[in-house]
Amino acid sequence: MAATGRHSALVDRRAFLRMAGAAWVATLGAGESFALTRTDAVFASGYRDSDGRFGIAVLAEDGTVIDRTPLPARSHGMAFSPATGHLVAFARRPGTFALVIDRTGKAAPVTIAATEDRHFFGHGCFSPDGRVLYASENDFDANRGVIGLYDARDGYRRIDEYSTYGIGTHDLSVSDDGSLLIAANGGIETHPDFGRTKLNLDHMEPSLALIDAATGALIERHTLPQKLRQLSTRHIDLDDRGRIWFACQYEGPRNDLPPLVGHFGKGEDLTFLSLPEETTIGLANYVGAIAVNRREGLVGLTSPNGGRFVVLDAGTGSVLREESVIDAAGIAAAPQGFAVSSYGGRFAGHRADVSWDQHIAGLTPHR
Amino acid sequence: MLTRRPTFHRFGPLLAAGLSRLRGIPPHPTLRATFSPRGRRENETPAIIPFSPAGRRCRQADEGGTPRQITLLLATGLLLATSLPAAAQEGGAPVLPELTDEVVTGIMTRAVDDVIRPGYRTFQASAGALAETTAAFCKAPSEDGRKAVDDAFRQAVTDWGHIEIVRIGPVIEDNRFERILFYPDRKGTGLKQVQALLQKQDEADTKAETMGSKSVAIQGFGAIEFALYGTGAETLMTAPETFRCRYAAAVASHIETTAGQLVAAWDAPDGVQRDWKHPGPQNPVFRTGKEAMTALLGILVHGAEAVRDQRVETFYRHGGIARPKSAAFWRSENTWTSIDANLEGLQTLFDKSGMEELIDPSIASVNGNIDFILKSLRRVVPTIDTTMEKAVSTPEEQQKINFVLVNTRELILAFDGGYGGAIGLGSGFSFSDGD
Repeated sequence: MAATGRHSALVDRRAFLRMAGAAWVATLGAGESFALTRTDAVFASGYRDSDGRFGIAVLAEDGTVIDRTPLPARSHGMAFSPATGHLVAFARRPGTFALVIDRTGKAAPVTIAATEDRHFFGHGCFSPDGRVLYASENDFDANRGVIGLYDARDGYRRIDEYSTYGIGTHDLSVSDDGSLLIAANGGIETHPDFGRTKLNLDHMEPSLALIDAATGALIERHTLPQKLRQLSTRHIDLDDRGRIWFACQYEGPRNDLPPLVGHFGKGEDLTFLSLPEETTIGLANYVGAIAVNRREGLVGLTSPNGGRFVVLDAGTGSVLREESVIDAAGIAAAPQGFAVSSYGGRFAGHRADVSWDQHIAGLTPHR
Repeated sequence: MLTRRPTFHRFGPLLAAGLSRLRGIPPHPTLRATFSPRGRRENETPAIIPFSPAGRRCRQADEGGTPRQITLLLATGLLLATSLPAAAQEGGAPVLPELTDEVVTGIMTRAVDDVIRPGYRTFQASAGALAETTAAFCKAPSEDGRKAVDDAFRQAVTDWGHIEIVRIGPVIEDNRFERILFYPDRKGTGLKQVQALLQKQDEADTKAETMGSKSVAIQGFGAIEFALYGTGAETLMTAPETFRCRYAAAVASHIETTAGQLVAAWDAPDGVQRDWKHPGPQNPVFRTGKEAMTALLGILVHGAEAVRDQRVETFYRHGGIARPKSAAFWRSENTWTSIDANLEGLQTLFDKSGMEELIDPSIASVNGNIDFILKSLRRVVPTIDTTMEKAVSTPEEQQKINFVLVNTRELILAFDGGYGGAIGLGSGFSFSDGD
């Protein structure tokens, strides 16, 4: 595994501190300030504390909690804009709120309420300039995924809506140049009237869609072959070549061993990785999160069901590392390798008295 | 080595303050120092001591069911809960159970053979009785016949409520769950379809054998309830063999058919029951014993969530606008019958499966906590006014519903974090439910 230069880590931290601003740093306790000065990377993750309360925490690379912001209910994924310092926590499906936190401390938190007949699916992303927030949402009466567009310069007013060209949309990402939106349509129908119940496991329609970020037009849509129709394409990340890596959760028979990871580029067919059988078994047909470490050319996967953390070579797709992590939850690129969290409160070498939620967002530009 | 330190109870300060406002009862100082269920940490034994066994004494304070007694129950339960964690600390760190094949197969076998299969069989029988009783009433309407229909309907609702908690397996295939009960129906789709059907009076709609090919909204309890209790139901008494009555009988018969499919699916020796009882690498449902136990616990967690989120909060949220006509079975005044049956179903599954035997004796309070909450809920639920308009608008009844909301939340946490953590299933933070 390639080492990461100390210089770049310092740049990361300085960049974060510049972005975060003195006002926010001044609110930290001595211990938290000390942790911040020592860390090479800063992350955020949703949590549930031991009293059952939910929030979003900022963490140092070693897992030290630097700051916490309470949330009204459980969150899931996050979106962070390095351009503006805005961090958004999306409610877990079928939640109806997203909370925008200004890490610079210049603005009060903004709560975005889902519009009527929509709920959040738990993920979203910012345009590279931070001006537009894209949120994956459910048009539940029409049973179709949509992307809500929110104007970050106008109090996160909802300004438009695109189709995701699929159902059960989950993760959502944007290309580095901001021209493409990538929607992971898990293919599972849900409706808030039935909570989190999956309504169509016998006729799922998973797909991955590339959408024109300027117009909302469909550029290309990849469905899965019939034999993989119960393979829910749920999470994505992009590598340094702009390739889209996707991770799946299988709803079919438990003794099947379907491919769980793949990648594709614009204009290409999907490529599924053929992982070793023991790795696939270890992932328990359920990859909960995926992250790409661009600097080191790595792809990381976590599976809470399998209690597994797997590192792949982004160039060859081969397994470089496989580790048992009980209740493995989130994963994000770190200065060296990956930061991995668990439902049991583990984050890097630190344990907190919380359950970390399923995803981690990197707040320093080191991926 | 486990370090035990007091943490704040989830509801301690909140409820203490709330109760003080409600009744002028000062918050008890010990509310600040108690244990709360927490998720297991890797390489660490759980610290899950929400209630001590002695907490069961709280039941004695709960026999009346008046609002004041309910409030006191809540407070007393918390006080006892907060004052006795030390008892569980005496024996050292609790031991996580080893989920061997034998242990898991034993529990899953009891769950299947002693709870799930009998549950579906009983439901099939009561649906059949409802069909027969309704058909007899249709032929010769009478007051006695009408009462027999009411009793049969209530029994069918009850027996469905017992097994309704199982929201996995054959019941979610082929839309069987929705065929039996299409709820919630936020936009009134079922109501509109049934009203149109009754208006049209197409004889084909009185044939149970072809009902399965039609909209699920006209096939289940929602449909028969409207036919028997909705606007215009008084016409059932006016003449024999009315279209409306025969439609109701056909729906009951169709429910019996669907229940029969569930009985058959679970009774097949090489089908779902085998998969549930014997996890393994070649098993299409559960690859490991841990997965099977997670699913079984998931029935309890999701069942408790459904009571709170889908059955109560659909029509009543504390401080929100009440919608009594959104409650399931409001027309027949069986809303609380259904909810009580759900709770009884949860209790039956937990007790009869032997899940509680997995808990280390030093933290037997985990079981006691679940038992206490369920029994507390089941004392209060049947006392709530069955006329939903009154239930949501009378302060005394509102207080009972608030009690149900608070304690179903406690129940979810007791199953999820409490029991789940105590048997090594993590914090139960995510039940593999796709996110």
